[in-house]
Amino acid sequence: MKHLFLLLLSVALVVPCLRADQPILFPHSTHINKVHLKCIDCHISADTRDAATIPGVRKCMLCHAKIAADKPEIKKLAAIAASGREIPWQRVYGFEKAAAVKFRHGPHARHKVACATCHGDMPNAITAQPLVKHNMGTCISCHRQNNASDDCATCHY
Amino acid sequence: MVIDLDRCTGCEACVVACHSENNIGMSTPEEAARGRVNHWIRIDRYYEGQFPDIKVKYRPVLCQHCDEAPCEPVCPVNATYHNPEGLNVQVYNRCVGTFYCANNCPYTVRSFNWFDPKWPEPMQLQHNPDVSIRPGGVMEKCTFCIQRIKRVEDQADAAGRPVADGEVQPACVQSCPAEAMIFGDLNDPDSKVSRLAGDGRATKLMEELGTKPKVVYLEKAR
Ligand code: HEC
Ligand code: HEC
Ligand code: HEC
Ligand code: HEC
Ligand code: HEC
Repeated sequence: MKHLFLLLLSVALVVPCLRADQPILFPHSTHINKVHLKCIDCHISADTRDAATIPGVRKCMLCHAKIAADKPEIKKLAAIAASGREIPWQRVYGFEKAAAVKFRHGPHARHKVACATCHGDMPNAITAQPLVKHNMGTCISCHRQNNASDDCATCHY
Repeated sequence: MVIDLDRCTGCEACVVACHSENNIGMSTPEEAARGRVNHWIRIDRYYEGQFPDIKVKYRPVLCQHCDEAPCEPVCPVNATYHNPEGLNVQVYNRCVGTFYCANNCPYTVRSFNWFDPKWPEPMQLQHNPDVSIRPGGVMEKCTFCIQRIKRVEDQADAAGRPVADGEVQPACVQSCPAEAMIFGDLNDPDSKVSRLAGDGRATKLMEELGTKPKVVYLEKAR
């Protein structure tokens, strides 16, 4: 009984952490609330193209070559930048290949769907978490409410 | 789509372009001998006359996107249907591989993934990210390069203008060196395809079956 309890406890402790397993503890909150960066400053094509994109390490180093350079997380960042590689971020959102879904950010930004509708309260998040569940139901119900297409071929091809 | 048979030289550039644009798996000679080939477009050859006075005619055959598509009503899971734009669409993740649609297609343009698709090295590195890779057990067929249609519509919407005639070019149309293939909107009476479809040379493949195909072949009558 005690073993079972410990097992359950360890599972409960580990599972919520899995997604947060990022190589660097990047705080969205600091950069948005304190530094006043916009989402688009880093996710540069979130308003125009299909993919929002994650910023490359060189963009981080524009500031962090000087700013907070003595902090442990920034030292990790500088080490990655010096190695000439990219930060191996873990993907948070995304669909299985088998689902054959083609999502595009562009049309949503043009129709003024806020980032928060699909990604939750990122300005107060540390590393990104799947705050909002994405599945076919959430896509379709909003599309029906907004007279957007619910034809299968809009999203699957 | 309009295909001018008097221009087609049977070079198969369209077949190659289609394969690479749409991540179509490669068959092997052994599988091909059992009829398990994967093509969304093929070139049919017709011979006229007796050797050596022989004349070869070519006809590229792809999904005709029939208005009365025989493949659609037989699908038990509605994986193939007509979308509002008039395309005959295949929803891969809905497909359970019954093969009914392919059996009912008079043009035999549907191809089935008997196995997970394979490519000879290093071709597995050149997949088109805009097209999903279909797993084994799924039926597939020409989409008129729907990813290109969506892309152009997206760009036009972003620029706040309508899609221009001829702006959408499926891979086969783009690659045709003889410019034998033309793609456009048949619903628009002023489009190039609509004008060509009214040409005296216009014919449709196996029209007598009542499938109302949307590919028009231009061919001089003899
Ligand atoms: C300083 C640059 C920066 C800014 C500004 C920024 N982000 Fe990020 N964002 C990142 C980085 C780096 C990651 C990758 C690390 C992670 O997943 O936490 C990321 C990850 C994400 C992810 C998860 C991506 C995935 O699927 O893996 C989402 C969603 C996201 N950001 C949304 C936003 C939104 C919404 C805003 C504006 C409110 C925003 N971001 C502002 C840098 C930024
Ligand atoms: C516009 C300049 C700017 C850019 C670009 C920028 N940051 Fe920052 N970052 C800051 C500032 C300012 C702070 C706050 C420093 C402080 O609290 O002393 C900060 C804080 C941080 C911290 C927290 C440091 C700590 O331990 O307190 C991390 C980690 C971090 N940034 C990572 C990144 C990464 C990764 C990127 C690239 C995606 C990035 N930053 C891009 C300006 C920037
Ligand atoms: C309609 C819902 C929706 C909206 C609105 C939306 N996103 Fe996304 N976002 C998604 C989905 C779904 C994915 C996963 C896409 C995939 O993997 O194909 C995603 C992925 C991302 C990613 C991961 C990297 C990438 O390129 O896929 C980032 C970063 C991101 N979004 C940022 C943003 C920002 C910033 C905004 C606001 C400008 C925004 N998103 C608005 C649904 C949305
Ligand atoms: C909060 C509302 C909302 C959610 C959630 C949403 N969408 Fe949309 N989507 C829209 C709106 C509004 C449009 C613009 C429709 C138009 O062009 O008229 C749109 C357009 C699109 C388009 C382009 C449509 C076209 O005509 O080409 C695609 C593709 C798309 N959405 C996919 C998705 C997917 C996949 C998801 C789920 C991950 C999703 N959307 C979730 C509101 C939403
Ligand atoms: C607005 C976008 C959108 C439309 C329209 C849409 N889907 Fe989906 N569909 C999705 C998303 C997103 C997923 C992935 C859900 C997930 O990963 O949980 C999905 C998943 C699926 C799956 C499950 C795939 C798997 O292997 O997990 C099937 C089957 C499916 N869709 C069929 C359809 C059919 C049939 C239609 C037309 C009636 C359709 N979809 C229309 C967005 C859409």
